Amino acid sequence: MIKTVDLEKIFVVRDQVVRAVDGITTHIKSGEVVVVIGPSGSGKSTYLRCLNGLEPLTAGHVHIDGIDLANRKTDMNKVRREVGMVFQQFNLFPHKTVLENLVLAQMKVRKRSRKEAEKKGRALLDKVGIPEKESNYPSQLSGGQQQRVAIARALAMDPKVMLFDEPTSALDPEMVGEVLEVMKQLAREGMTMVVVTHEMGFAREVADRVLFMDYGKLVEEGTPEHFFTEPQEERAKLFLRQVL
Amino acid sequence: MNSYLKNWLWRSLTILVLLGIVAGLWIATKRIDYTWRWNRVPQYFAYHSEDIKTVDFDGLITKIDKKGDLTTVTVKNAISGETSSFIIDTETANVSVDEYLMEGDTVGSTREWKAGPLAHGLWVTLWISAVASVIGLVIGVVTGLCRVSQNLTLRQLSITYIEIIRGTPLLVQLFIFYFFLGTVLNIGRLPSGIFALGIFAGAYVAEIIRAGIQSIPKGQMEAARSLGMNVPQAMIYIILPQAFKRTLPPLAGQFISLIKDSSLVSVIAITDLTKSGREVITSTFAVFEIWFVVAFLYLILTFSLSQVVAWIERRLAVSD
Ligand SMILES: Nc1ncnc2c1ncn2[C@@H]1O[C@H](COP(=O)(O)OP(=O)(O)O)[C@@H](O)[C@H]1O
Ligand SMILES: [Mg+2]
Repeated sequence: MIKTVDLEKIFVVRDQVVRAVDGITTHIKSGEVVVVIGPSGSGKSTYLRCLNGLEPLTAGHVHIDGIDLANRKTDMNKVRREVGMVFQQFNLFPHKTVLENLVLAQMKVRKRSRKEAEKKGRALLDKVGIPEKESNYPSQLSGGQQQRVAIARALAMDPKVMLFDEPTSALDPEMVGEVLEVMKQLAREGMTMVVVTHEMGFAREVADRVLFMDYGKLVEEGTPEHFFTEPQEERAKLFLRQVL
Repeated sequence: MNSYLKNWLWRSLTILVLLGIVAGLWIATKRIDYTWRWNRVPQYFAYHSEDIKTVDFDGLITKIDKKGDLTTVTVKNAISGETSSFIIDTETANVSVDEYLMEGDTVGSTREWKAGPLAHGLWVTLWISAVASVIGLVIGVVTGLCRVSQNLTLRQLSITYIEIIRGTPLLVQLFIFYFFLGTVLNIGRLPSGIFALGIFAGAYVAEIIRAGIQSIPKGQMEAARSLGMNVPQAMIYIILPQAFKRTLPPLAGQFISLIKDSSLVSVIAITDLTKSGREVITSTFAVFEIWFVVAFLYLILTFSLSQVVAWIERRLAVSD
């Protein structure tokens, strides 16, 4: 489903070279839930953003369903509609109602009729548990509700993969659960997911595989049981001691 | 209750101060023996024009048909026998049936209200400003988008335009447009003036739009792109509507400025409100009255615009 080969992303800011992603090779299979963890600044977000082409690659390849993002001829817009993304800061469109947030891209990108798009939008709002908020504006929703709308908005495009970049980090603690619940349900339904998170409980319970990143490199990878009970690398052990 | 009373005291003071200033002005003009002729002003807004209908032949009135305010008088040519009808205002009709009219005699007249020079000037200012605003908005949005574009040439061209326009006086630009471009491209004074105003406003609008676009969090563009929208779609549906909402107050300020700046087109002999004012003054010598009236008319235009904008802002505020 997603293959990355020697993926590299280097930022140069005023002669400062930051190797945000430094040669990552992985294969994420269809239906797999992969959790990416690592200290802040280790390149998790950048890695995720390379997977849907939000960051142009410096070197290496990302293959999504066999399509190479590094190929200049690849239509990025076509790839992105297959790859949903949920951001830490929700990034809902504040000038549109909840339903409009879900409908807009369906109509403009997927070319669905308004009726069809609204039907899909309502069904998804139902699924994430806020059917009654469709005509509210994002600013009138709690953080947890906004993030659930953001998930529904991404799902409305019928993506093959969902990327989550710390979806619960900006939430008040009492709202974390409701968002994780929606994500767990998605995982149960067989969605392919790549999740950057600090929620170790979620990783243990839902992940098929855990990737541990540090300094842009993939330091350790394995099943949650393996990773949380007997990590091999020193840096992974250190990180786990700090977060657990 | 106490603060309510206090407010009223301050308000009364405001009114008192304003009245004081007016009284001061009045006394000052008294001392230079200026005679105010406010009564002469209204006729320059609208006047009753009388169109006197006369016969250009000798003839006999055969019929007078009164229908409300209008009366049709039918006159039979004494020589050829042809009949002609005249439509006049009933109250001006003082002829009777079988009366014989000589060539040049009056049958009656029609009266109608005509717009005076001030009303005409106000209208010219209004539509010149409106057209120039639309031009300025279009140029401004396009230039603003170029200004934030990835393409270096587009960025540099837009910066050059903005710097040239903002770095030179509008008055000089008007002359250049009128004398140089007007002659070279052979366009008249009115298009020259309107384009000069529009292009002038465009440079400021561009900077406002650029600031507006850049004030939208990066996450909005990323969210739009992550849904598969291309850059134009993201701009049109996501970024620009939000930028427009944020830039509405400065944009309104810019268009209010444009209305005021449009008074400069009078130097290339466009009969806008200012030029009309000057023309009326040459025939009335009511210098003070006319300039006060002209100022007041500009104030009405700008105030109406700011009211409209305030209304739009309230409507857009529902998503806050
Ligand atoms: N747009 C950017 N420009 C320059 N440096 C960046 C940019 N985005 C991220 N970085 C740098 O790349 C490194 C990895 O960042 P990030 O992927 O956000 O880490 P994480 O999500 O794991 O906290 C950091 O050192 C960060 O400063
Ligand atoms: Mg991050």
